[in-house]
Amino acid sequence: MLKNALLTLLTVAIAVGLGGGSVWYALHAQSGVGAIRIGPWTAFPDIGTPNADPYSQARIAREGVLALGRAEGLAFVAESDSAGRKLRRECAYTIAGEFPTARFWTLYAADQSLDVIATGKARPAALHSYELLRQTDNSASISVSSRPAPGNWLLVNGTGTLYFVLTFYDTPIANSTGLSDVTLPGIVKGRCDA
Amino acid sequence: MRKVIYAVLLGLFGAGIVHIAVLLLVPDFSERDAWSRLAMASDLYRMTRFDAEAGGPPVVKSVDPLFFAATCRFDLNDGMVQVTAPGQVPFWSVSIYARNGHNIYSFNDRSATGGKLDTVVLTPAQMIEVRKQLPEDYAGSIFVESPIGEGIVVVRAFVPDASWKPTVDRFLNGATCDPETLED
Repeated sequence: MLKNALLTLLTVAIAVGLGGGSVWYALHAQSGVGAIRIGPWTAFPDIGTPNADPYSQARIAREGVLALGRAEGLAFVAESDSAGRKLRRECAYTIAGEFPTARFWTLYAADQSLDVIATGKARPAALHSYELLRQTDNSASISVSSRPAPGNWLLVNGTGTLYFVLTFYDTPIANSTGLSDVTLPGIVKGRCDA
Repeated sequence: MRKVIYAVLLGLFGAGIVHIAVLLLVPDFSERDAWSRLAMASDLYRMTRFDAEAGGPPVVKSVDPLFFAATCRFDLNDGMVQVTAPGQVPFWSVSIYARNGHNIYSFNDRSATGGKLDTVVLTPAQMIEVRKQLPEDYAGSIFVESPIGEGIVVVRAFVPDASWKPTVDRFLNGATCDPETLED
């Protein structure tokens, strides 16, 4: 009798623990169902729309996100560099390459919860395309560092994990058909402060 | 021993069911969704800023740091809702969300007459009434027809640098969100 009760308890514990835990894990993973990966960048083009998958729907309900609409823009998040190493705030990076067609885009450095990091200085950890210096072939190179750099400089300081959020506004790539042949800039790691 | 393996297998099977059930129930039972958070912060038809500049922790998950944003909740059962904002800013966009946070419709300043923000959200039934006799107030409005009851409208505006902050502040603080009823 006791043995049967224990077995039932085991069954229920596995069901509830694994079932609930797997949902929690799936909702916290940065990549997930419905994600589109281009190099180190991840986007969820369907998030916040009625035809989003159940995982995206649960994610917006839990996080209280009001996702950007298709006519507004599309946000890409990078959590690792082009070589697959996690981004760190104490390291310098170079974001270089071609940016897809958009009216303008913004790039900011974010913490775990994707809020912009507080630099403690007047300069925010954010850049946008209207203030960008470009190469003659229309590509651009952005230095991410805690020390000032010539050209385009994105200030990032402090320690801990780092995310880059690159958002394109009023862009044709927000329609999923346009996403197939999009190239995004690469992220190359530089020196790190010990 | 066989009983234990049987119990574990049954547990794994149950875990699958629980996974699906929890996943599908999360949107309905979440008390942390955008609507609930906004309801705690302000009333229906009250334009509320929710960017970092507005002071206090952001009500809804923060937007782009180079953007300011304002939002208001509405209920189409009370009538249509008209959203306007004065002045010109480098870029603005409007999104209409259903109560569950789904983006129903979005547009930006390129869609508007002369770049002026003036939009009316209404149900298809209300649209029929409006078509019969277009009120003069709505001559330049963008109509968003959506079969939702309660909803959220969000206005986002781009702030290229600090010198634009006063202009964008004026734009968003002057934004209105008014319920409208057609008189018979």
